[in-house]
Amino acid sequence: MEERGSARDGHDDRGPAPADADTEPDARYTLANERTFLAWNRTALALVVAGLGIVQLLPPFPGVPWGRHVLGVPLIVLGATVSVASYLEWQRTQAALRRGAPLPRSVLPRVLVATIAGIAVLSAVVLLVSAVR
Amino acid sequence: MPMPPDDPGDADPGLARERTRLAWARTALGFAAVGAVILKEEPAAGAIVMITAPLIWALGRLVIRPAARPGLLARRLLLVTATVVTVAGVALVIALVARAPASLSQLLRHG
Repeated sequence: MEERGSARDGHDDRGPAPADADTEPDARYTLANERTFLAWNRTALALVVAGLGIVQLLPPFPGVPWGRHVLGVPLIVLGATVSVASYLEWQRTQAALRRGAPLPRSVLPRVLVATIAGIAVLSAVVLLVSAVR
Repeated sequence: MPMPPDDPGDADPGLARERTRLAWARTALGFAAVGAVILKEEPAAGAIVMITAPLIWALGRLVIRPAARPGLLARRLLLVTATVVTVAGVALVIALVARAPASLSQLLRHG
């Protein structure tokens, strides 16, 4: 019993790991990386709900029968894309943490901003076409 | 000898662990919300998506020691991504097929 206890607590004779070795990063960094991944996946789910809500719950735009689909379907596809991309970024970040290398920059914010701006412009177009007809 | 509080190797990551557990719970709630929206149009598909919520929550409760099983850490997150992609696929099918001649639940019932 005593042996096992001292083995579990025996972290005193190990010096700091060399900077270039592949070591398991500090648990807090691993957890923070995981939370970032989860936050992106909640964003992805929100995009899916938004897309589905537009197609299913919104009344049709008068004169623009394809209006709801042209806004909702890209949001749903973006949701799946964000989820896959966030996993790849989690992997890249985790690998960088193991190596002690600088963290890679995320492309996800730019993808999200570009698509949401695109959807906003598209919404304006659909509304204008609907108003003209 | 007391450890210095800012030594990253020895600090207790209890609060970080708690935050991460809460993040898993919020994500599980997200799945439940998507399921509830789908439930309105397609009860069968919605119920299946609702079931993923407690599963994701349970996945977050699993204690994984990264040093012992490094692959498990990644596989657990891959499972989340796979579920989100599947849910998005279901949403896409519903968005494109619903209110057409046959709805999903009708297909399930007759096919």
